[in-house]
Amino acid sequence: MLAQKGNRTTPKALALGLLAGLLGMQCAMAGDTSGTMRVGDMQYGNGLDLRGWTPMLYPADPDGTSYLHPGMLRTPTGALYPYPPMADAGRPLGQGDWTYAGLLQFGYLHVGGDRNAEYFRQYDDWKSGAVLGLFALDFNNRKTGSYVDFRGSRISGDDQFYRLRGGRYGSYRIEAFYRDMPHTVSTSAYPIWNGVGGTDLTLPAPLVAGASTPAQVAAASAATPRRSIGLTRTRAGLGYEGVLYRDWIGSASITNEKRTGTRLWGGSMFFNFPFPDNGGVLETVRPIDFRTTDINLSLRNVGKVWRFLATYNGSFFRNHKDHLNFESPFRLWNVVGTPQVADIKNGQFSLEPDNDYHNLRLDLSRELKGNGQFTVAGAWGTMRQNDALLAPTTCVGTGGIFIAPPVNYTFQCANWNTTAALSRKNANARIDTGLLDARVSFHPTAAFGWHAGLRWYREDDKTRYLAYNPLTGQYGYISENGSQGSVVPGETGIFDSRNPLYRSANVTVRNNPFGYTDTLFELGGDWQFGSKSSLGVVYTFDHNRPKYRERRRVDDQRIKFDWVSRDVIGATVRLSWEYARRDGDRYNYDPYEQFFSRSLPGFVVPANGIAVHTVADMRKYDLSNRTESKARVIITHPWGESATLSATFYGNRDRYDALIGRQNTQTTGATVQWDWQPTPATTVNAYLGAESSRMGISNVNDADGPDNGKALGTIGQTNPNLGGPLYPYANQWWELDRESNRNAGLSFSHDFGRVRLDGSYNYTGSFGHVGYSYATIGALAYRDPTAVAASGSGFPDNKYRTNTLDLGVNFTVNRSVGVRVFGRYETGAFSDWHYAGFDNTLSYDHRIYTDKGGQLHYSVSLVGVMLNLKL
Amino acid sequence: MMYRTSLLLLFLLASGVAAGAGAQEPPHAAAPARVADLRRMQPVSGDARAGAGKAAVCAACHGAQGVAIAPNFPNLAGQSATYLYVQLKEFHDGLRSDPVMSGQAAALSDADMRDLASYYAALAPKPAGRADAASRGAQLYLAGDPAKGIPPCQGCHGADALGPRPHPSSAPPPPWASWPRLRGQSALYLAKELADFKSGARSGTSNAKVMQGVVETLDAADVQALSAYLDAL
Repeated sequence: MLAQKGNRTTPKALALGLLAGLLGMQCAMAGDTSGTMRVGDMQYGNGLDLRGWTPMLYPADPDGTSYLHPGMLRTPTGALYPYPPMADAGRPLGQGDWTYAGLLQFGYLHVGGDRNAEYFRQYDDWKSGAVLGLFALDFNNRKTGSYVDFRGSRISGDDQFYRLRGGRYGSYRIEAFYRDMPHTVSTSAYPIWNGVGGTDLTLPAPLVAGASTPAQVAAASAATPRRSIGLTRTRAGLGYEGVLYRDWIGSASITNEKRTGTRLWGGSMFFNFPFPDNGGVLETVRPIDFRTTDINLSLRNVGKVWRFLATYNGSFFRNHKDHLNFESPFRLWNVVGTPQVADIKNGQFSLEPDNDYHNLRLDLSRELKGNGQFTVAGAWGTMRQNDALLAPTTCVGTGGIFIAPPVNYTFQCANWNTTAALSRKNANARIDTGLLDARVSFHPTAAFGWHAGLRWYREDDKTRYLAYNPLTGQYGYISENGSQGSVVPGETGIFDSRNPLYRSANVTVRNNPFGYTDTLFELGGDWQFGSKSSLGVVYTFDHNRPKYRERRRVDDQRIKFDWVSRDVIGATVRLSWEYARRDGDRYNYDPYEQFFSRSLPGFVVPANGIAVHTVADMRKYDLSNRTESKARVIITHPWGESATLSATFYGNRDRYDALIGRQNTQTTGATVQWDWQPTPATTVNAYLGAESSRMGISNVNDADGPDNGKALGTIGQTNPNLGGPLYPYANQWWELDRESNRNAGLSFSHDFGRVRLDGSYNYTGSFGHVGYSYATIGALAYRDPTAVAASGSGFPDNKYRTNTLDLGVNFTVNRSVGVRVFGRYETGAFSDWHYAGFDNTLSYDHRIYTDKGGQLHYSVSLVGVMLNLKL
Repeated sequence: MMYRTSLLLLFLLASGVAAGAGAQEPPHAAAPARVADLRRMQPVSGDARAGAGKAAVCAACHGAQGVAIAPNFPNLAGQSATYLYVQLKEFHDGLRSDPVMSGQAAALSDADMRDLASYYAALAPKPAGRADAASRGAQLYLAGDPAKGIPPCQGCHGADALGPRPHPSSAPPPPWASWPRLRGQSALYLAKELADFKSGARSGTSNAKVMQGVVETLDAADVQALSAYLDAL
């Protein structure tokens, strides 16, 4: 009757769990986390071990989670708790009360096959060579509750983490960490420029800026060596949390994150598609050289009646490369065919400015009579940036187009390429936020409770900038560094009431300080039926008042029902359904007049009027009337003592009340999971997931040519209505996007004693299709017979698929030594029409691309051997 | 990179040699102690009348009616039959050691142990005393001391120290019947048992593992206060 077994202090060699990190089991103990964002990072792990402490999870403790209850315990909803890892009692450290325990796991990794496959390397810096799987060292003082622990892992110099933590339980904690995380964007990039990674992209010989032919550019591209584009995220931090005085607990942390590397970027020299040889479209590479410093401070007090929390969050972003200059190889040609007087061959981007963020927040709550609670929170935040502004252009000489006197659209770059051409020298940008949030809840009986809440939030953009050039007395800015106005006459980007050529130019002259005030009221109740069923109902009314948008008021009402039963044929079933309806005041399709030059004195409305901003029947999806319904069913069925079968079904439906704009979206998905842990030594998990989504969009093309109505440039361009001359029904088109994703996983592990086996197989697949239809060919942007014939009813399908098989075996040599041998085989396939044809060339007319995209097919293997030493 | 790789490989090789050397060494840890897993323990039953016939030798220490003749022996009258059976079984199997009891239990059959347990469980317990409800011992027993991490004893041993009151739960039930009744046990005996839990002398069952965690939180004054309270209860 009385089972005999060895006690739990038996030391055994801990087994490496490299690939078990992918098993998806033991969610309840997903990681050796910091547990709080107040101190350090939440999760430490890497591609070798996503959990960050997998080797410490074995062997499992057969005593399970309790000395009281037999078998494995479950969560209230029926999911099994995993077997906890066997606690290491540690070895004494000297003569005092301290003990220590540790694990060193290191070895050799070999990567074979398509080792540079983009999706294989996306977040891992896999290399053949020596790796440190895990170095863990724990010091504990069971008498005082003090501890110090260290964790470290290293795949490469760009993929590693180290953490040192110490403190005393119930008193304080200090943590310091350092980590490098890679993020590869492309492994098949062919940038033609010199200076990639810096702020100045220059063309290598024999290419000459503004004077190279497409053939020369194509040849240069073909000769460019392959390289990767990506960045490394380096984070380091120091944090403290502890009892300051009696019930007062404080925390302070500082985290510094550096991001260095490159990212694919644009480089427009105005358009090239409709008029060959007259512009330039470039895919460039920009530098990433960011530093973000976060400071978090908090002070809280938990009394018997009152609870108090004050927090300060500060975030300070610094970009050490604030611009990107690039040379364009192509010569610009104007569309009217007059001699080209402008020599625009350089482009410039202003990159992200330095900015500061501060937020102060105070939370108070107290118990109320009648088993109630009252909470109130207030916060104030501000985001500011005041960088020195860049000059409107970097061009030199003359820009624009000269047709014939007096039709002279040229401009002198010297009037625009200095900061003297700006209305002010610094951005002086600022957004303030405010929050008030109050909530009261009561549970007058065990079977009934209710709550009510009122939340007010405001985001106020105080930035006001007027694009005015004191050197010329003109408004606006030079478009695309001068290239646009050098291709199309008059599209220089400026307004000048004194010049007949520019006094009717309707260009942007002010920033739009978008903002909003949101008030949200919530009322809810929950009822308990017996000991195993409950019903919850919540009603919310969200009243939003946007600024400088198409609507001044948007109201969203929502009701949500939740029903939970923990005994439906032995299973826990959770049902939820919600319905929401959004409407608002009158929709103004063009609230933006004040930001354009037509609002300035001296603006002359052209003879044919101003072309309307957009079609009046357009409803932007975040402001349009909408009905939404969501449903979800989650079933958790305990299957015997050691297995759980769980399934989730969900669906969302959105309908938008819009003739033009987003019409509807819908998502339907399901997951099924089986977890089985018959003994502490064996785990098996299986998972299936599928989701499909659709989105419908309705739109209409401008009548911009004689073959589709020709209203642009006539008096008809002032009519904003669908069915009018500018937006005829014949020019309508519709888009239907379909996506589906599928995932499957199977994993197992079994501990034979001296040998432990583990393995997993994972599949991910996604499919995307963009389909369309149109009323007549007037809906198409390009209506030449070849384009019409090729238009069909959709773009080619996008497909993405990976299969990954992991196998590992651990050998226990003795109590202190173990060996792990493991391998991974991964295959993938990728097909995306955005990259179609790039295998042959990246150069098309005046367009040069850099990224060939993910590999169409790849297979890669990874084999490793690790030595585990218990310290 | 090559240099770093070589260094790590060298380290790996050296560690492998060290590991091989380590494999030759004899294990330095003590042989694992055996532990009886009581978590699935069901209430036991036996023949109390037959047990009465086998209890003569027990009465020498535990008294004719199961109330001990001296404070260093436990009272058995009214005690949980399952608890008594488990203790005899532990002595019998060598999971618990006592100069007298180990020898006495060694000769008992399983039926003997069940019968004896049932016999003593059926005897009337020692009459209730007058404990000081305001004492430190009462406070510890009924409410624990959260500041010191001391759980209230009544959670398992009952508010009146007459054993636990099982309550319905969806979780697998713990072995309620194997937990002892503490009311009226002598302070001397209780203090010794708590000390045995703390020292590991009583560690042969999963229940003892629970108690080991509890006594870790008790200092000498706490033990004294608790024992005195239960003695007088």
